Amino acid sequence: MATILKAENLEKTYRVGKVDVPALRGVSLAVQEGEFIGIMGPSGCGKSTMLHLLGGLLTPTKGRIVIDGEDLTAATDAKRTDIRRRKIGFVFQRFNLFPTLTAEGNLRLAERIHGNGSGDAERRHEILRMLRLEDKMHHKPLELSGGEQQRVALARAVVNRPAIVLADEPTGNLDSENSEIVLNMFRELNDRFNQTIIMITHNPEAAAACQRVIQMRDGHIV
Amino acid sequence: MDSLVVSNIRQRPLRSAISVLGVALGVALVMLFTGLAHGMSDDLQKRSSNVSAEILFTRPGSLQINTASTNLSTKYVELLQKVEGVESVTPVIRYFYSSGAWGVDQVEGVEWDSFSQMNNIRIIKGQAPRSPDEIVIDETKAARNHPVGSTLKVFGDRLYRVAGIYAPESGARAKMMLGALQDSLEAPEKCTFIYVKVKNPAEQVAVAKRIDEAFPGNKVQLTRELFATIENSIPGLTIFLRVLVILSAIVSALVIMLAMHTTITERTREIGILKAMGASRFYIISAIEREAILISFLGLLVGFALAWLAGVGIHKTTSLIFDFSLKWALVAAAIGLLGGALGAFYPAARAANLDPVNALAYE
Repeated sequence: MATILKAENLEKTYRVGKVDVPALRGVSLAVQEGEFIGIMGPSGCGKSTMLHLLGGLLTPTKGRIVIDGEDLTAATDAKRTDIRRRKIGFVFQRFNLFPTLTAEGNLRLAERIHGNGSGDAERRHEILRMLRLEDKMHHKPLELSGGEQQRVALARAVVNRPAIVLADEPTGNLDSENSEIVLNMFRELNDRFNQTIIMITHNPEAAAACQRVIQMRDGHIV
Repeated sequence: MDSLVVSNIRQRPLRSAISVLGVALGVALVMLFTGLAHGMSDDLQKRSSNVSAEILFTRPGSLQINTASTNLSTKYVELLQKVEGVESVTPVIRYFYSSGAWGVDQVEGVEWDSFSQMNNIRIIKGQAPRSPDEIVIDETKAARNHPVGSTLKVFGDRLYRVAGIYAPESGARAKMMLGALQDSLEAPEKCTFIYVKVKNPAEQVAVAKRIDEAFPGNKVQLTRELFATIENSIPGLTIFLRVLVILSAIVSALVIMLAMHTTITERTREIGILKAMGASRFYIISAIEREAILISFLGLLVGFALAWLAGVGIHKTTSLIFDFSLKWALVAAAIGLLGGALGAFYPAARAANLDPVNALAYE
């Protein structure tokens, strides 16, 4: 299997007033194509910072990130945005769907941003079928349950065939039943489409769904 | 149409409506002011073009756009008639009076036979004024619920009976006997100006020169030069209209800027999501610009409708005339759209530069 993501000696320090607050203190990580990785650790250990760095939403203070052959850390802001658009799909704890758009509207928006104007209808239908969302496409987020909203968010994240899906506590806002459904979806995506997934979680049951679990503490991988 | 743009506008109907109205007001103001200037100018020119006399003889400063003095002696009528090349002359009093709560109207005192003969004006209904309490009016005034036999107030509460309707329109819309107006103004043997018709129109300049030399200290004007457009007659009108257009553009821009600024603040988190999804700065700016331009476009439509309704309403209650030109409609459209686009640019650029992590954490 090819290495799809490589992070070398990542450091990130936030400046709060006149104080430097280190969030990551030299993290290295290699992710193979098709891996499903869980990241666990206590609050404040640097999990979200690492996910934001891997997704190009933040730039590291030190270190290097290469995604699918492209150096994220050497890229300009515009280039990082472009890499994110082509290679990364995000899933958030709070779903982060556009409330004024229907589920289909949210998916189509992702396709438009990706530059895939009319979208890949076959891919979209395949994903919707797998996520059991076909009859929910004309509903707005507030008309959907939490689990359904997260499944729409997941569909939005993968509709453009990203190299990696980065999920930030995707089951954090769900009850156990919906958590189980969403985790099954992640597993199925990983199995059927060989989708690479990096997922932050506090939930040991969610972590159990992953092929590999990384533990973090105080800005380090332990 | 991008459904995100449309859905964002529909999400806040009241704010969208206020933004649309803000743009509409700017557009309506431009259309109303320019429409009024052109309407009144065209109306004045149309009525002036029906005057056949080539020369207007008056006292300096006695005839303005909206004022007139009755200080020219009618003795000049006989004297002018004797000037070489003059075919006929007729004295006229022009008097301006307040009309209702809104506007100013005017009435002319004429010697009907000589005036109508000189200017080819005929009575199409009723008869010419034969007594001091009779007036004749043109078809436009008659259409405002003033049929033959009805009465009109011209001086305060004094009623005049409509004796007849004349055509074509020429000068003031209401005319009465010269003597009757002289009596009312207590200005016997006075008039405002005297129309002079020459035997050979090709020699009007030479005749005007002869009159000027014969009666120095008076004012001799060729009617073809006198009735230039009202825009040129009123000093600063063109500048006023241009300033108005600029102010309207600024109002449109500020309304859109405020609306978009509020929108961006409210949607900070959504902009963070767009950034996380890989939306470029250009995409975010263009999405906000499209929303602003759509609001501005709706504002244009509402503005045109408002201007038209206001024009019709004002015309019905006053004698003011509006002529909405395509040229000014295009100018109003351009400033509405450009103002909206420019107004949205700063908030759009601000949104595009938001830090995605902070935006995603925005509550």
